[in-house]
Amino acid sequence: MGIILMMKLKYKSELIRSMSYLAKNKKTIFIGQSVSYSGNAIFNTLSHISKNKKIELPVFEEVQLGLSTGLALNGYVPITCFPRFDFLILAMNQLVNHLDKMRTLSNNSFKPRVIIRTSIGSKKPLNGGVQHTQDYTNVFKNILTEINVVSLKNPKDIFNEFKLALNRKDSKSTLLIENGDYYNSR
Amino acid sequence: MKNLKQKLINFELTIKKIYEKGKIKGPIHLSGGNEDQLIKIFKRIKNNDWVISNWRSHYHALLQGISEKKVLREILKGKSMSLNFKEHKFIASSIVGGGIPIGLGIALAIKRKKQKNKVFIFVGDMTFETGIFYECYKYAKNYNLPIKFVVEDNGLSTNTPTKKAWKTISKKPKDIIYYKYKRRFPHHGTGSWVLF
Repeated sequence: MGIILMMKLKYKSELIRSMSYLAKNKKTIFIGQSVSYSGNAIFNTLSHISKNKKIELPVFEEVQLGLSTGLALNGYVPITCFPRFDFLILAMNQLVNHLDKMRTLSNNSFKPRVIIRTSIGSKKPLNGGVQHTQDYTNVFKNILTEINVVSLKNPKDIFNEFKLALNRKDSKSTLLIENGDYYNSR
Repeated sequence: MKNLKQKLINFELTIKKIYEKGKIKGPIHLSGGNEDQLIKIFKRIKNNDWVISNWRSHYHALLQGISEKKVLREILKGKSMSLNFKEHKFIASSIVGGGIPIGLGIALAIKRKKQKNKVFIFVGDMTFETGIFYECYKYAKNYNLPIKFVVEDNGLSTNTPTKKAWKTISKKPKDIIYYKYKRRFPHHGTGSWVLF
């Protein structure tokens, strides 16, 4: 029974497949805390990615988001990973006041493409509590004007959403929201 | 140099006049009092270098070689405090410390791509005291990134004396460019009452 259930789970494997696809592009770079060292669910989708495609960062969320914008302005497509939605809150200034406003500020000339990964913290088998499990999807959909916000609920959509984030012609940035509980249930 | 200094001063006086006629529908942040220091600093900055500025950016933009016409056009649109020009690698944020991590990322890309240019990041004395400056300075220094920080110290943040608010101010590291000056104009506007 357990084996049959395992075979049906696609959420994590689709994330891994998406990361492999992104890694094939010369411009992409994976950054954040725990992209190279274990410690969260997102790491488990990046462990197969080559070391030279990853930059392990200190914990400085606001700097991380601004640094991602800077990398994008100078030719990279960063996949910037924030292990929990609750932690992305610390990067709001760079997300809302900067990355989200770059086009408006620059007469549509600066068009940084940043792919932001975050995850709603899992509640099963352990519940991380109010600072580790919040779902702010609607808040971000309301506050962001230039950045696309995508909720990754169905495994069959995951690959196409990441593919679109990398290739969309308007080069807009995308925030992709995972759910930690789906790693073990979908 | 004398001509350049006068050219900078004249540009701001022109903006002042236009603003006082009520023709700029946004706040302006005039530069002034730091012409000599900036002219000297910009001799080190090449055309291909990135400049990360802030809300008081008119002089930075002009000295980076952006034409008066272009800068004026943006100011007339009400963008005095957020001048951004991709073709000149010029970025300005009107949020305290906002441009610093962006400059950090640009510099990280320069290093990884083995490009030859640098990033110059201009901050005020209050921004120098912030956590985000400290984080970015530390990361840039530890990874030997091609960044030069410039601290422009007029002692004030809007009208709050930096030293009074913090009780004391931090020592400036030797590897940053630092200069003091007295600003010629108020934080924003010209000091005259303008009816829009």
